[in-house]
Amino acid sequence: MLGTDDARGAPPLAPPPAPARRGPGRRRTLVAVLATIVVLAPIAWFWATSLPAGDYSVADMGYPDYGGGPASTAGQPGMAGMAGMAGMSGAGGRSVDTLRLPDGPADVDVTLVARAQTVRLAGGRTVTGYTLNGVTPGPEIRAVQGQTVRVRLVDADVPRGVTLHWHGVDVPAGDDGVAGVTQDAVPPGGQFVYRFRADQVGSFWYHSHQVADDQVRGGLFGALVVVPRGTSAAPSPTDVSALVHLYEGRRTVSGVDGDLAVRAAPGTAVRVRVTNTDSGPMRAWSASPYRVLAVDGTDVRGPTPVVGAATQVTAGGRADLEVTAPARIELGGVAVVVGNPTTPPAPAPNAVVDLLTYGTPTPLDPTTIGFGPTTPARVFDYAIGRRPGFIGGVPGLYWTINGHLYPDVPMFVVREGDVVRMRISNTSGEVHPMHLHGHHAVVLARNGVPATGSPWWIDSLDVPDGTTFDVAFVADNPGLWMDHCHNLAHPKQGLVAHLMYEGVTTPYRAGSDTPNDPE
Amino acid sequence: MRAIYRVLAYLLALEVVVQAAAIAWALFGLSTWIENGGVLDKAGMESDSLVFDGVAGFMIHGLNGQMIVPVVGLLLFVVSFFARFPGAVAWAGAAFGTVIVQVALGIFSHSVPALGLLHGAVALVLLVVALVAARKASAPVAAPADTSTGAHAAQV
Repeated sequence: MLGTDDARGAPPLAPPPAPARRGPGRRRTLVAVLATIVVLAPIAWFWATSLPAGDYSVADMGYPDYGGGPASTAGQPGMAGMAGMAGMSGAGGRSVDTLRLPDGPADVDVTLVARAQTVRLAGGRTVTGYTLNGVTPGPEIRAVQGQTVRVRLVDADVPRGVTLHWHGVDVPAGDDGVAGVTQDAVPPGGQFVYRFRADQVGSFWYHSHQVADDQVRGGLFGALVVVPRGTSAAPSPTDVSALVHLYEGRRTVSGVDGDLAVRAAPGTAVRVRVTNTDSGPMRAWSASPYRVLAVDGTDVRGPTPVVGAATQVTAGGRADLEVTAPARIELGGVAVVVGNPTTPPAPAPNAVVDLLTYGTPTPLDPTTIGFGPTTPARVFDYAIGRRPGFIGGVPGLYWTINGHLYPDVPMFVVREGDVVRMRISNTSGEVHPMHLHGHHAVVLARNGVPATGSPWWIDSLDVPDGTTFDVAFVADNPGLWMDHCHNLAHPKQGLVAHLMYEGVTTPYRAGSDTPNDPE
Repeated sequence: MRAIYRVLAYLLALEVVVQAAAIAWALFGLSTWIENGGVLDKAGMESDSLVFDGVAGFMIHGLNGQMIVPVVGLLLFVVSFFARFPGAVAWAGAAFGTVIVQVALGIFSHSVPALGLLHGAVALVLLVVALVAARKASAPVAAPADTSTGAHAAQV
């Protein structure tokens, strides 16, 4: 006990100076001051070391983690003289700016104008937030596989600037749309042109990655659908996007507060692309049998009918559900109503479709997933925990990655062509929807139980508390990629790391002295 | 210092009352809102934009419990070094220790909900400890006070 009683009666340290004061009293005060320092100094130190740089490069953030692969060598461009990660953002190496499609004609050419405004949703409710071309959700972009998509983003008047991230599309790094990492935020009056080839078929979405928490919440997002070669990208009554979003606390589906009606003759199969644009997992279910055709834009092999179970869609994730009219797909307070079902809304079932076993059992080997996950070049841990501390000088209870508090987070370094395994574990007490930019990973196992269903490809993965996932991917898209939690409040609480290819640099900077704030 | 000690200790006790009141308000508000058709899931919880009578109770409980209560406990502990009366440090230390345990329980109860039983019980422990600390600081000063006997009595 840091008591002061010990000091009582002890001789003074030195002869009392004038004005005379009793030794024991002075000694006790000294002990009290020392005790105060012992208690407060560590807190002050943690606070001081957490003060953010006003201007930083994510390439310099944290410490390198080579995952057991070779460390970057000094002979490589941009790596010379590096101490830790210092210098990686400097001159030399390939800038993310060079990792882009060359300009040229595009098959799908869209201009999106972002505004901060009060807007009437499709369902009639008026909300204050952000729009693209005057609406939220923004216009649906539809492309045929193989087409080149060009999107000119114009910021009309969003004060802090905007970007567009193509969630789930493995675009070239320079088009990833992360403010401060792959571009500067587009200021009011400015513009940025994104270009990418729509090689992946499936359901995707786009959203701002500048002040993402506020802007996505406020409606700065929209749907992106890529249909297979040889089919038409024209809107179809049997192919419906269902963007689920809370506007000012009330759930909507594609801007509608209650039921989103889809006309369909009895017996017609309709694909509903359920997209979770919020920050926590949601569930979709139906009283009618349905099939999970695709997850995160990748088709499921052999999707079987689901009865009496819900499909969980993680934040940022997509699930394409197929129902046969008439049917309702319940989305928790809102629904997609296909045809004219006479059944009332069904309560949520307790059971959840387990994507670890859903679909045709498929071994995960080079013939089925294109690479061998059993012989990885790099193995990373992404262990999510939680502890009190300071981030940016503000005390709080923050997320940790591998035991480290932001910004002292790992930089996962890979070389192009590496097969990478990552073990994502969560002991933080809350679920985290983990999202790796620019890549799709296949789930190998959950809590050590191997995946036995259709290959389960993800770009957004629900990692509940107490759960460990083993995932694998091929490092086939050079760049500097965010690997973060898509509960968009969490990155600024420390749950953000990056995947960096050797020799790739970024000229962009983030921090309070720059216009860029990706979180 | 003794007066500050007393004020901080009473403040800590008052904070326990605020925490209990806030969370009860929030839970009744939530159940009433659900009864009236409100739908809550994780996505809604994370939206920070749910609106119902009592939703502020969750915010008060979380912010107060994780930030203000620990700061009051820490200040009380530091002040106790300077508050010269028997048991000052011991009771402030016990209060601060209880705060740490209570915050930890608040965190870990999200993983193991049954710990919430302890979270509720330890709140009452903290209330009692804070009140005892405050009462100790209010007790009459034991005579003779050791610092008031004058310079002539000083041992040299």
